Amino acid sequence: MNPVLSAVLRWIVTALIVTAAILVAIALWRRYETDPWTRDGHVRADVVRVASDVGGLVTSVAVHDNQMVHKGDLLFVVDMPRYADALGQADANIASARAKYEQAQKVARRDIALGDLVATETHEENVASVQTAKAALDAAISAKQTAELNVHRTAVRASVNGIVTNLDLHPGDFVGAGTQAMALVDLDSIRIEGYFEETKLRHIHVGDEARIRLMGDERDMEGHVDSISAGIADDQSNNSANQLRAVDPTFSWVRLAQRIPVRIHVDRMAAGTQLIAGRTATVTILPEQSPKK
Amino acid sequence: MIGEVSIGGVFFPPLLLLGLFALALTGVLSRLFQIVGIYRFVAYRPLVDLALFVLLLGLAVLLTAHLGPQS
Repeated sequence: MNPVLSAVLRWIVTALIVTAAILVAIALWRRYETDPWTRDGHVRADVVRVASDVGGLVTSVAVHDNQMVHKGDLLFVVDMPRYADALGQADANIASARAKYEQAQKVARRDIALGDLVATETHEENVASVQTAKAALDAAISAKQTAELNVHRTAVRASVNGIVTNLDLHPGDFVGAGTQAMALVDLDSIRIEGYFEETKLRHIHVGDEARIRLMGDERDMEGHVDSISAGIADDQSNNSANQLRAVDPTFSWVRLAQRIPVRIHVDRMAAGTQLIAGRTATVTILPEQSPKK
Repeated sequence: MIGEVSIGGVFFPPLLLLGLFALALTGVLSRLFQIVGIYRFVAYRPLVDLALFVLLLGLAVLLTAHLGPQS
């Protein structure tokens, strides 16, 4: 064979093989770098920080760890006897205020019957003391309502349907008013959050279908993009004490794409799937299957 | 698998394992091609070897694609 021709043929064969390889490499790059999928997804849920409105010793705890509760179920009771006593005291205060009020009314009526025998100043003082006694009675009635509310609030109830988790509350513990006593995972709020690189965000739209797999679970779940986070913290700057921005001076050869949380609502999942807040999930967005805009 | 391959609780991206597999296969095929004499038909052998690796990797990814969303 002509040596020149054979050299040309060899180069043509080489070029064909290399071209095919380049095409495959581009397809692989697309698949792994630009398709909107992430292995950095997590199951998330709202956690209600259950706190007592009144402080005191815990009288009884009505739930055990990892128990399912419904909205309105009793969780624990704080120092019921003390607040019941306070209610009794409020009743006594009302009786006292009422007696003073009636006495003031009697004095006023008697002085009016005496007419001009009583000084005008005394009449005015009588009116004032009746009004003061009436106000004191109203204040005592309000105080009783607050005491009733406190008694009502000694029973702490679940505000959502959820599961009590990591329970560390025992009868005899002291809880301060407003301090967190237990964590309640809101089951109605459970969702998947995928942390997508910002380079992939242009392929993700609200309403896109998503396929989710939990780590260690072979079954697919189906969902859709519920919303995309509006902001993440800027790690290149922070505010200094005098209200001026402190911007890090950087010159980066390598820049990492930020991860943006995308909220996925789970539409369908296999029965028995353990959606535990914090589990790792692989999320794939299927943009081509939902043309809605 | 599901986007990662579990080996003793440590999860690896499948692309890493497929890459190792493709590399081994490339070595075997390269040896085979040398014995058969296919390299007589190409101009620059290292380039063809590299192309062979990429093609095998693409084939491996294609063949395992049905196993999971991103295997």
